[in-house]
Amino acid sequence: MKAEGKRIRVDSLSRVEGEGGIVLEIRDGIAAQVKVTIFEAPRFFEAFLQGRSHADVPDFTARICGICPLAYQMSSVHAMEKIFGVHVDPFVRDLRRLLYCAEWIESHALHIYFLNGPDFYGLESAWASKDYLPILTRGLGFKKLGNDLLALLGGRSVHPISVCVGGLTRAPRKKDLMAFLPAVERAFEASLKEIAWAATLPFPEAEFDTTWVSLVHDEEYPMNEGLMGCSKGKPMPMEDFLTAVKEFQVAYSTALHAGIREATDLEPYLVGPISRVNLNRDRLPSAIQDAMKSSGIVLPIRNTRMAIAARTVEMAYALCEAARLIRRYEEAEKAFVPYEPLGGEAVWVTEAPRGSLLHRYRLNEVGYVESCTIVPSTSQNLAHMEKDLRLFVERHADGPVDWIRKEAEKIIRCNDPCISCAVHVIRPG
Amino acid sequence: MKKPRIGVFKFTSCDGCQLSLLNMEDDLLGLVELFDVAYFREATDKPLKGTFDLALVEGSISTERQREEIVDVRDRSRVLITIGACAVSGGLQALRNWASLSSYTHLVYPKPEDVHALSTSTPISDHVYVDFELWGCPISMSALAETLTAFLLGRRPGIRGYSLCMECKRRGIPCLLVSRGEPCLGPITRAGCEALCPSYGRPCYGCFGPKDDANVESLMRHFQTMGLAAKECLALLDKMNSYTYRKAHLESRG
Repeated sequence: MKAEGKRIRVDSLSRVEGEGGIVLEIRDGIAAQVKVTIFEAPRFFEAFLQGRSHADVPDFTARICGICPLAYQMSSVHAMEKIFGVHVDPFVRDLRRLLYCAEWIESHALHIYFLNGPDFYGLESAWASKDYLPILTRGLGFKKLGNDLLALLGGRSVHPISVCVGGLTRAPRKKDLMAFLPAVERAFEASLKEIAWAATLPFPEAEFDTTWVSLVHDEEYPMNEGLMGCSKGKPMPMEDFLTAVKEFQVAYSTALHAGIREATDLEPYLVGPISRVNLNRDRLPSAIQDAMKSSGIVLPIRNTRMAIAARTVEMAYALCEAARLIRRYEEAEKAFVPYEPLGGEAVWVTEAPRGSLLHRYRLNEVGYVESCTIVPSTSQNLAHMEKDLRLFVERHADGPVDWIRKEAEKIIRCNDPCISCAVHVIRPG
Repeated sequence: MKKPRIGVFKFTSCDGCQLSLLNMEDDLLGLVELFDVAYFREATDKPLKGTFDLALVEGSISTERQREEIVDVRDRSRVLITIGACAVSGGLQALRNWASLSSYTHLVYPKPEDVHALSTSTPISDHVYVDFELWGCPISMSALAETLTAFLLGRRPGIRGYSLCMECKRRGIPCLLVSRGEPCLGPITRAGCEALCPSYGRPCYGCFGPKDDANVESLMRHFQTMGLAAKECLALLDKMNSYTYRKAHLESRG
């Protein structure tokens, strides 16, 4: 039987951050319409950042997202430091990386156990069933550890206060960090089992060829530094990426979409854990590579539904890296380098939990913002999510409407969209 | 006893304050035992239905649709508590209250005509009656726990309206304003963060908004004697609680 004229709507997506929905229309087995609608109210960050001091910027951009505020602070301070020619001490670089590990841990744990995990057990929430309780309890443990580490280094886990242009306002005591080490090491051991657990989840067949984009780095799994890597093409400097992608506006969304410029077309691409793991597999420690191998996770991951597995891999990595950074930490007197604010322009990308987060700033001669561009990971993924939905719908056009609706929601959810983030985009100006 | 039905609602915001609920890792399982979590889009699929004993509202009102939705939420809720700077103060996005909307939409979107937003971002209490306000950007988890406990026990939350300086003194942190001449908003800012920024050696930037009867004008005058330009003073107020600091400023000018 041919399904004809099906119209499927999700008015308000649940278990995602922010407000969005889905509209699907299937005609003669073809996806006639596929939209991820974003009705999150715009907040105009790029407008009110104009005229503000560079020093205010990390506090402001943090407020774009309550789940990954640190990512915004990182892209901001790196861009400013590039303009001013500031080089932070190596131990500050380590501490910033440790902060990022902490954010990956809490953000990934939130998504794995609260937002996406329940989908694989047919649950409406993480606390809907006693059977899920042991899984949730494990997740709470990881999440708490990430948040506690973030709070130790950043003052608090939501909108941390220690990250500033030039370094950190305060460095932690060695003994306070060392007190965390046993818990981090235990969590790392435990996280390897989470990779095995995630690999056994029932993933529907959903493989397709796609373009992966993430930072790549010669020596380490990328967080704060590197080149923009792309599965179709050579790595490029961060500033070239802004011209390689184009953002475009669609009427049904307050978030701009993005695509990579191909000959005449815009090609959707994917940022986030799957792309990072695929492009940086050799930077993962052998313990994690072994855990993936024995769990049957084959790289590259081509099934976007397996993002949860990629997140467990990165959660394990962040724990492993956190332990390493804590062990080699040496306390220093000053975590801050003085600088003179200058005018200029810079682009910087760091890897937010949900993927590459690009900031561009132009400052006047006393370091006040003249213009800026913020390209969050979720808006880069919107076009890709629609491609994913389209392929799903065309494979299963004959399926029952309710089932298609539920599956479509899951497809969006496995991308861990952060819609509050996505809505703050500006055209390059 | 029937568990109270709790609803968590989001308007214009970053999600950080409702995330604080999920970040109460040690208490979360107890929380879902004590409350019937009847609506919480970030965590459950449950559709919006029926009435609520307690509504926690995050975010400011910044679109026409939200203006209608908040009235509906109020209608459904016995007690309504706002959580965080966006909900109690309009948030950072309220900075557009001091500019023209079209200058903002043109700057951010290539097709501004497709963007529907009010020219202002305002606190929930400008639109409906609010039973209690929890300040902070983000709110503190201990204040949230105290508020939920107080609700269950049927008493007022024990949260003070005095200034941040009290917390700073209690922790024995040397005053940044007096000893280092840094422009700290502590004297006019509500306590609640345990003097977090001063403990990291940076002046308070006003996450918790103006304290009761804050003498903003006096502090601004002091900043000017320290050498700050009027514009720089205003920039200190124009952050997450800009809307309420500016109001308090006008009131303190008499």
